[in-house]
Amino acid sequence: MTASPIIRVRDLVKEFRTPRRAPGVSGALRTLFTREQNVVRAVDGISFDIAQGELVGYLGRNGAGKSTTIKMLTGILVPTSGEVVVSGRVPWRARERNALDIGVVFGQRSYLWWDLPLIDSFELIRRMYRMDAATYRRELDRVVELLELDELLGTPVRQLSLGQRMRGDLAAAIVYRPRVLYLDEPTVGVDVLAKERIRAFIAETNRSEGTTVVLTTHDLRDVERLCRRLILIERGTVLFDGRIDELRSRYAVGRQMVVDVVEGQGALDLPGVDEVRREGSRVWLTVYPDLEEIVRRIFVEHTGSRA
Amino acid sequence: MSAALFSTAWQMARLEMQTFLSWRLNLGLQVLGMLARVYFVSAVWTAVYAGRAEVDGVPLETLIAYLTLANIHVWVIYPQTLDVLPPRIRSGAIALDLARPIGLLPQLVARSVGGIAGLTAIVIGLLPIAFLVGSLRWPASAEAGALYLVSVVLAYAITLAIGIVLGLIAFWTLETNGIGLLYYFVNLFFAGALVPLWAMPDWVQKIAELLPFQTQAYLPISIYFGRLAGTEALRALGIQAVWLALMWSLAVLVWRRAIHRVVVQGG
Repeated sequence: MTASPIIRVRDLVKEFRTPRRAPGVSGALRTLFTREQNVVRAVDGISFDIAQGELVGYLGRNGAGKSTTIKMLTGILVPTSGEVVVSGRVPWRARERNALDIGVVFGQRSYLWWDLPLIDSFELIRRMYRMDAATYRRELDRVVELLELDELLGTPVRQLSLGQRMRGDLAAAIVYRPRVLYLDEPTVGVDVLAKERIRAFIAETNRSEGTTVVLTTHDLRDVERLCRRLILIERGTVLFDGRIDELRSRYAVGRQMVVDVVEGQGALDLPGVDEVRREGSRVWLTVYPDLEEIVRRIFVEHTGSRA
Repeated sequence: MSAALFSTAWQMARLEMQTFLSWRLNLGLQVLGMLARVYFVSAVWTAVYAGRAEVDGVPLETLIAYLTLANIHVWVIYPQTLDVLPPRIRSGAIALDLARPIGLLPQLVARSVGGIAGLTAIVIGLLPIAFLVGSLRWPASAEAGALYLVSVVLAYAITLAIGIVLGLIAFWTLETNGIGLLYYFVNLFFAGALVPLWAMPDWVQKIAELLPFQTQAYLPISIYFGRLAGTEALRALGIQAVWLALMWSLAVLVWRRAIHRVVVQGG
């Protein structure tokens, strides 16, 4: 990790207060006149650093505090306590300045104008992020080609399929070349082919533009395909933070396997497979269970130890 | 910076206007409802006058022209933010608005301006009908017409600020339907769209003069028909300016509190 991370998070806490609600109609009536509150700690003392150009998977079960963390990183929510610094700024204090540098996609929502053709939303983005005409033209062409949006630009957003809309939202978050990209479940509900297109696009953006990407998802194949580093959180705290191969070797038992390969075959680069040794055409491998299985076991173990 | 802000706001207003104009059925029904209201208010007052040429020195013709214009005012000049903001807060879409390099208040202003521009375009198209159905008349003088235009812009800016204040309440309450309804009825009455302020009993008139709603229909229209002229017209503009400053300060104040209240619904 470099000396000055682009994202720095220390002891981050977010509490939500909600009125205590009793069930049923009588309970609802009572709620009208009471001031009792529940305090929920959605994020409970999280710390990590992310370096410029990293592509990090931020994983956790539903309600673990992923989205809440992302919303504090983007400046949408004000932390209860702790510290967040992104590109040297405190996001919620410098919300608008910070926003110029970041792209945000929330898979469950859309920033595109529902009743209007897709291209109209991009034109708004161009002005909002102060792009000159030439840069806009070039970047728009690039994302439109990579995400295959060409034929959709004139279509009203409400007529797009979920996968098409998601590609539209992704394009709108990237066309102005943000330094940091926050993707909160960008593949949720999207079909296999569209997922692959989205993943390829994220990988390409990270590689060619050096964009820092923080990705939350429930699809471990997204992570396997895209990320080298993983942050696992549960009940608002960090369970694991490190490289995916560390996670494998620490939490999973690999099977040893010896295979004969064709003479001259290069190193095998497969997810979940480590090459241990090679003699001539004979290769010794360690094969791990897939990531989903490992992460599932960690969650089960952790929840079990608490129960 | 401000050039980018202006250019963004301009585009946002255009998109909002485009959206508004793309719903033809909704538009048609609104226009029908509007014309019906003008028609029935005129019919009721014609009956009240019962053949007399004037009551309290106000000719029927003037009264009907006044009410026609007043009803157009409360239709066009309404707190549009109440339609835009609370649903976005309820659904959590507000998160995406807050992650933008433009503040929420300018975004809301731009959207409202777009909506109003759409409505205004419709109204200008309908004016000939308003002259026929409600017997609208021309302004009392060129000067009255010019002052009226200034007054209308102020009326709109005040209502915009009121809409933002009321809409922001959804950050605490999540919904504002009750507030919206309350506003609608109180405003309809105290703006003078059912009964002109001059025809109200003294004590009701006193209350109306203490409220911001008169700035929305009664004051500008009184200028239009020359009931308020010269220094009186300027005084009316002054009252509007004071309300404008008050309401915008309140909007900024409420927004500063709301930032710390932001809770994004639906994860």
